[in-house]
Amino acid sequence: MTDGLVLEARSLKREYDQGRIQALRGVDLGIARGEFVTISGPSGSGKSTLLQLLGGLDQPSSGEVLYRGSSLAGSFDLDTYRSRHVGFIFQAFYLLPALRVLDNVQIPMLEGGRGGRERRQRAEALLEEVGMTHRLRQYPNQLSAGERQRVAIARSLANDPEILLGDEPTGNLDSENSAKVMALLAGIQSRRNMTIVLVTHEADIARMGRRNIHLRDGRVVEG
Amino acid sequence: MALLRIALINIARRRLRTSLTLCGIAVGVSAFVALVGFSKSFEREWLKLYQSEGTDLAVVQRTFLNTTVDESAGDKIRALPVVAEASPVVINLMDLTPEVNALAYGLAEDSYEMAPLQFLEGRTFRGEQAEVILGEVLAGNLGKKAGDEMEIQGASFRVAGVFRGGSALETGAVMMPIRQLQKLADLNGKVTAFHVRLRPAPAGQTAEEHLRQARAAIEKAVPGLKAVPAGERAHNNQFVSFARSIAWGTSLIALLAGALGIANTMAMAVFERTREIGILRALGWRRWRVMALIQWEAAALGLIGGMAGLAGGWGALRLLAALPMTANIAVGSISPLHAGEALAIALLTGLAAGALPAWRAARLSPVEALRHD
Repeated sequence: MTDGLVLEARSLKREYDQGRIQALRGVDLGIARGEFVTISGPSGSGKSTLLQLLGGLDQPSSGEVLYRGSSLAGSFDLDTYRSRHVGFIFQAFYLLPALRVLDNVQIPMLEGGRGGRERRQRAEALLEEVGMTHRLRQYPNQLSAGERQRVAIARSLANDPEILLGDEPTGNLDSENSAKVMALLAGIQSRRNMTIVLVTHEADIARMGRRNIHLRDGRVVEG
Repeated sequence: MALLRIALINIARRRLRTSLTLCGIAVGVSAFVALVGFSKSFEREWLKLYQSEGTDLAVVQRTFLNTTVDESAGDKIRALPVVAEASPVVINLMDLTPEVNALAYGLAEDSYEMAPLQFLEGRTFRGEQAEVILGEVLAGNLGKKAGDEMEIQGASFRVAGVFRGGSALETGAVMMPIRQLQKLADLNGKVTAFHVRLRPAPAGQTAEEHLRQARAAIEKAVPGLKAVPAGERAHNNQFVSFARSIAWGTSLIALLAGALGIANTMAMAVFERTREIGILRALGWRRWRVMALIQWEAAALGLIGGMAGLAGGWGALRLLAALPMTANIAVGSISPLHAGEALAIALLTGLAAGALPAWRAARLSPVEALRHD
């Protein structure tokens, strides 16, 4: 393991359609613990694919992703990796529409071995951290876009992960809400010393990271 | 926020579809409760029939599909020391009018099986005369009383009396001299069975041992025939077997239709909620948990439908118990065992119907599922 790196990508390739589409063409990168990294690039550059591979949502065609020096392919059950070590936020929020805010935040905790009361108390605390205590009993369709993303952020922290991965988390937000969400993420990162990796196509969001990795045509061209 | 609660929330999301699915499984379970319950009542009445008469064994042919026994076997059975009485009996199902059919018993006038009958009017039939006696329910259905004439399959009979029997199968039956029924059923020299009453067990011998020895002795004396304990005969005679087969067959078809409804609903739910399943997988839910969620939903549909079906089946049994044609057999209540069977079948039907959709949901790749529109 390279000292201090929490995530590494080594010669990471991802192909689709029997090799006709090459989303990633050999990506090498390392992300240190507590780093706030943004991944930017034009549409089709492979940013979301890279995030999915780093988050264990997908598996590479070749190369490997290492978490704390251990390959996800060999040493980890990806379900365990996703439930314990990684939290996700998405552009479309992906809250479950039939569940209230408080229940949405508890969903990942069903894999965390916590009891019902503990799950509820933790969800309330997380929703307080993102400023959503006044909306506990609302359904997602009763919330604004900014509020939904704040709930999604609370949900991503449910099992106290070390890494937070965001796929265009401000993509569906106006400037004001984008700024609020980025400020919230920055606060969470500094309070918890979390590793945050955000994919974005917005230059001003990309600049907010301590480091920006720029992709083009499935390769890292900067960062 | 347990899995069951999420499952219940999910099935409440599509109210119309859920209601229709519940109707489907409820109809299946209602059919099971009513039909199988009715066949069990029928079986219970057969047992009561034997018990009220004091019959210990029924001697029949080895195959139940054809139970004609040569009448001459009676002397060999009666000659056995263990046998107190052996009464030949012919049992048939007859159309008495276009609307009314009934069990017809052909018995000897002096048969021990006649003794428990309580005559409400008239008397029993005599000798081999063209006379019948009617159970009180049948007499009511036919509008006949002692002294009336009635025609059975082209032959004229006089109603000698109306009786009350120990079993519904008697109170809804017609009884006549065995020779008369043999003539009507074209069974000269043949009987359906011999009903046997045994002598008491000798001191020091258990009832089971006594029964076992008696059966062995009878089967040795009349090779080719089988001595069946009354309880077993009540359970396995061809009328009960036929009723049970019809009840189970019809119920299973109805349950299958209900199961297909659940399978369809769950398959649709998995398809519509593919992205949600992807979200759950992205949040770290294991395959088995996704599978368990879908199975909880299917099981809940089965169980809720089962409870509705139980209520419907109970209503149907109460209706059968109130109708003149079936009042003498149907009992308007459900035993806890039968209710338990119905709910267990509903639950298993739900789980079986949900298995394939659950398996498909669990196999979804998180990325593919998240891309689903």
